[in-house]
Amino acid sequence: MPSDLYREVALEEKQRLFDEVKADARYQGYLYGCYECGICVAACPSARFYDFSPRKITQTLAREDVELFYEQLNDDVWNCSQCFSCNRCPRQNSPGGLITIMREVAVNNGLRSMKEALAGYTRIIYKIMTTGTQVSPDMLQEDAFPDWGPQVKTVSDNLDVWRRALPPETLHTTGLSWQVEEKTMHELYAIWKLTGTLDMISQVDEGLHDIMEEIMDDALEDSGLRVD
Amino acid sequence: MANTDTVLIVGAGPGGMEAARTVAELGKKVLLVEAQAEIGGTPYASYATLTPDLQETEAAMGHIVRGIRHNPSIDLRVNTRVVKSEGDIGAFHVTLENPDATQTVVEVGAVVIATGFQHFDPGRETQMYGYYEYDDVITLVDAEAMFKQGKIIRPSTGQAPDSVAFIQCVGSRDRQIGNKYCSKVCCGIASKQSIEIKRMLPNAKVFIFYIDMRMYGFWEDQIYWKAQEEYKVNYVRGIVTEVIRRGGKLLIKGEDTTMGRPVEVLMDLVILSVGMEPSKGTVQMSKIFSVPREEHGFLQTVGGPLDTVSTPVPGIFVAGAAAGPKDIEDTVSMGGAAAAKAVGALNRLALEV
Repeated sequence: MPSDLYREVALEEKQRLFDEVKADARYQGYLYGCYECGICVAACPSARFYDFSPRKITQTLAREDVELFYEQLNDDVWNCSQCFSCNRCPRQNSPGGLITIMREVAVNNGLRSMKEALAGYTRIIYKIMTTGTQVSPDMLQEDAFPDWGPQVKTVSDNLDVWRRALPPETLHTTGLSWQVEEKTMHELYAIWKLTGTLDMISQVDEGLHDIMEEIMDDALEDSGLRVD
Repeated sequence: MANTDTVLIVGAGPGGMEAARTVAELGKKVLLVEAQAEIGGTPYASYATLTPDLQETEAAMGHIVRGIRHNPSIDLRVNTRVVKSEGDIGAFHVTLENPDATQTVVEVGAVVIATGFQHFDPGRETQMYGYYEYDDVITLVDAEAMFKQGKIIRPSTGQAPDSVAFIQCVGSRDRQIGNKYCSKVCCGIASKQSIEIKRMLPNAKVFIFYIDMRMYGFWEDQIYWKAQEEYKVNYVRGIVTEVIRRGGKLLIKGEDTTMGRPVEVLMDLVILSVGMEPSKGTVQMSKIFSVPREEHGFLQTVGGPLDTVSTPVPGIFVAGAAAGPKDIEDTVSMGGAAAAKAVGALNRLALEV
C-alpha cells in the first residue's frame, strides 16, 4: 500500500532493504503467516507503553508491504524490548525475531533513525566491549536511581565492603559485574570479530569502532587466537 | 402400490447423484430427474477444480457421472422438469415435463429434492462493484471459466493481471440485500483460486478483502495457511465499499481495519466472491411439493442439527444446498443420509402393508 511517510526515499531503496531482511537465513523460520489474532500484542510489554504492535510488523512482512515495512524499520523496531513474549504466536511466527533481523538491517545500512535511537547506547557498547560486562555495582548511586530508596546511599557508601561480603571471589568487584578472565575477553573479541558484531558498530559510532578494533586486534595478537 | 419401491430424486448434482447411488445400493429403484441436459450439477458445470484439494473436477467427478449414466437401477431423465405433484408418502403422483411440453405422470414412494443453489447475481447489490459496468470485475464463476482454459486474464485487454483483488461476502451476510447468512464456501474457493492464480502468475499481487475468514476444519491449513504462507496471498480484513475505473485500472476503496487505515489501491482484476441463493428449481420444488422454506429462503428441515435431510412433509427429503449453503462434502453426506431415510420410509410402508 502507498505510504505518505518517507516519500523522499525511492521505492527501490525500500525494496532493497526489504529483500535484505527477507534473505536472512532466519526469516523463513520466523515468519509463516498472520491471521491477526493479536496474541503477540496482548503479551507485549512494549505495546502497553508505546504505540507499538508486533502484530503489525508481522502482518506487514507477511503482506510484503514494502512501503509500510520501511516506516516500521525507521519508526517502530526500536520500541521492542526483545523479550520474545510474542513467540507464543499460534502460527509459530516470531515477531521479536523478525524485529531482530530488521534491526540488524537498519544497523548494517546505517539508517539515520537507527543512529538516533542508539545514540545513548554507545557508552554501554564501550563498557561491554572493554570489560565483558554491562551493568556494574558502581552504577548504583542514589542520585542516579532515587526511586530505589534510601538504602541505596548506605550501600553505595561502602560498596567495596558489601561486595567483598559476597562468597564468590569473582564478585568482589565494583566497576565490573564480575571478574572477567583475560582468556574470556579474548574469546569474546574473537566472537565479536568473527560474527560481524564489531563491523556493525562502525555504523553506530565509527570512532568507537576504530578504538575497539585496535584494542581487539592488539589483544588477539598477544593471545595467539587466530581469527582469520 | 407398484411403485413404492421407487425413489424420485430431483436434481443430479453431487447431492442428487450420491442419493441416487445410495438408493440403488440399498436395493430400490431410482428415478433421477435433471432439468439440464448434463448431469453433475453446478460444481461439475462451472468449476475447473474442487475445494479444498484442488483436484480437477473432471478427474474427481467424471467417473461418478458416468457411473450414474450406466447404473441399471437408475432411470435417468435429463432435460426433464417436475411440474406437479399429488398424493402422499408411498404414492406421490408426479408430473414430469420435457422441453417439447410432453407430460408424463409417474408414481413414486418417496422424494429427495437436490435442486441446489444459484450464485448471487452481483448486479443486484447495494455495494458498488460495477460488475455490469467494468469488464475487469468478474465473479468466482467467471474466473473458473478461465481456469478451465488454463489461464487468468483481464477481459478488457486479454493480458495477464499484475494485481488481483478478491472481494468476499458479495451477496452474503448483508441485511440490506436480504441475505443474512454466510455462504460457507466462498472463503475457501477464493483462497483456492488465489493459489491457482499465483501458480499461473507467480509475480502477481493477490489480495483477499474479507470480513471474517471462515476456513473451518482442515480448510484452515489446507488452503488458508497455504495461500498465505506458500503463495504470499495478502489477506486484508476490511470490505471494499466501491470500485471505480481509474485510467485503465480499477481503484478499490476500503478500510484496512487491522492496520487502522483507509485503503485505496489500483487493481488489474477484481473477483467478486458471490454467495449462494436458493436456485429457481429449489423455489419451484418448494411450491410443487409443499415443502416450506425456512427464514433464509431455503428448504426447511426438521430436527435442526440432528436431522439435516427430513422436511416437514412425510416422504420428502432434501440434500445439499437446496437446504442452505453447503460445501460438496456436506452435500454428498446429505445425499447419502437422504437416500437412507427415503429407503427406510419405503421399507416401513412395505411392512405396514
